[in-house]
Amino acid sequence: MGFLTVLKKMKQKEKEIRILMLGLDNAGKTTILKRFNGEPIDTISPTLGFNIKTLEHKGFKLNMWDVGGQKSLRSYWRNYFECTDGLIWVVDSADKRRLEDCKKELYVLLQEERLAGATLLIFANKQDLPGACTVEELKDILDLESIKTHHWKIVSCSAVTGENLLKGIDWIVEDIAARIFTLD
Amino acid sequence: MEFDGEQSQIDFMVKREVERQVNIQKKKDHKDLGAADNEKVDYFQKIFNEKYYEIFNLITNTKNLSKSDLPDYFNNISNDILTLQKYVAASSLFLRNYDIKKCQQSLNDLTIKCKLLEEELLPKKRFGFKNKTKPNKIDANSHTKIDVVDSKNDKIIDFKANFCGYHDKKSVKLCLRSDEIYKKDVTLENLEDCQITLLGTPSTLHLNHIKDCTILSGPVSTSIFIENCENSNLSIACQQLRLHSSKNVTIFLHVTSRAIMEDCTDIIFGPYNFHYQDKESDFAHAGLDLNINNWKSIDDFNWLNIDKPSPNWRLFEPPDD
Ligand SMILES: Nc1nc2c(ncn2[C@@H]2O[C@H](COP(=O)(O)OP(=O)(O)OP(=O)(O)O)[C@@H](O)[C@H]2O)c(=O)[nH]1
Ligand SMILES: [Mg+2]
Repeated sequence: MGFLTVLKKMKQKEKEIRILMLGLDNAGKTTILKRFNGEPIDTISPTLGFNIKTLEHKGFKLNMWDVGGQKSLRSYWRNYFECTDGLIWVVDSADKRRLEDCKKELYVLLQEERLAGATLLIFANKQDLPGACTVEELKDILDLESIKTHHWKIVSCSAVTGENLLKGIDWIVEDIAARIFTLD
Repeated sequence: MEFDGEQSQIDFMVKREVERQVNIQKKKDHKDLGAADNEKVDYFQKIFNEKYYEIFNLITNTKNLSKSDLPDYFNNISNDILTLQKYVAASSLFLRNYDIKKCQQSLNDLTIKCKLLEEELLPKKRFGFKNKTKPNKIDANSHTKIDVVDSKNDKIIDFKANFCGYHDKKSVKLCLRSDEIYKKDVTLENLEDCQITLLGTPSTLHLNHIKDCTILSGPVSTSIFIENCENSNLSIACQQLRLHSSKNVTIFLHVTSRAIMEDCTDIIFGPYNFHYQDKESDFAHAGLDLNINNWKSIDDFNWLNIDKPSPNWRLFEPPDD
């Protein structure tokens, strides 16, 4: 067996999944990650570089990469693309002023060859705020229906209340698992 | 082996069947491993080409279809492209980079061809943004493609729906009270020479295009996001402060995690100095600890030198008396 085949088999055995979390600064990426992992969320600072967290979920080992979204950090995002099985794009649904920016950055990512084939989950975060756009509005504004290059789904959620986080993660893990661990 | 009676006969047959299945599986596994070993490049090429032409023909065929069938038809095509994409991704371990690039190129061609045709045959709905009019209610259940295709009206997203705060004001003194802002996303935008007081606990606060203003706020339970602010004085409390593209701003701050700034100059930080009647209970409501204040912990994204302090901000020095 070739070396790469061995590696692949190992990955399958450990059922490892690599998930990259991206989105504009202030979208709530780190808060989602910590909330999902049951950690306190009131001490989170804006991310200066990145956080990695390994979670056990449904018998899978999720390697979650949460990278800072500040303007000056976005050019480094590409350093994290390699071997990504799933992309979680986090949107601050209440920050209407920056939705165009958000759309632009998302479409840049979707062109990326190294992310081709990755499952895309869009978290419409901050739904606890009265000014938040609904999922239907975001679908329109971000023009999600035009995405044909990736399996995608948009899920409304709130990292503060914890609403729907599980639903979103379950979906992305199932979609990835159906692809990686049944092919062969 | 002995067979006494019908039951044993059945048991035997069941056992045989299980063994047979196990053998088939073993053979299959062996074949899979062998195939992986032999690097199935040729096989891959064959399947890829077959699939490619199948999709290509589907795309060419669209012109013969009735308009109402088109949305589903296009969806099926893009699903097929996606599947083929995944096939390439799954095979990437034994393919040469050159092969992957070539496949990727073919897939891109298909995607673009399909997209252009879709745009030609099914003209897209367009969206506008408006501030004043009410939005057309978008029915969450109306997923039918026909709807989308036939809609002649551009959908309007109401950017000021549920707006809480003030915008486009000059030289006024305004105040929002606790029940008006509690747990809300408050925005202050396009203000000049104003004095704004927020007496209570918003969930989050956005400031944009603020000039020559004084802004006093009770504790904000999550983040404060500030952009394009100049010549102003702020007294604010929050979990995170994110300050962008601003200059000449004095901020009296209570922050329980940290503050960051990007593209700012002449920022002065001092400790929170807004005292009002319900301050203590508001901090408790907002979930902010009155005893933790990191107002000196500022990360400047434009200043990576850790030996020297950033020239873009300094600490407030109280005037001597
Ligand atoms: N109201 C509300 N606030 C949220 C929610 N999720 C996150 N926040 C707040 O939004 C602010 C930003 O959250 P972070 O998790 O730091 O955002 P981020 O996407 O990691 O930002 P960067 O690290 O700069 O890329 C914090 O103050 C959070 O408390 C939510 O669902 N609702
Ligand atoms: Mg973060």
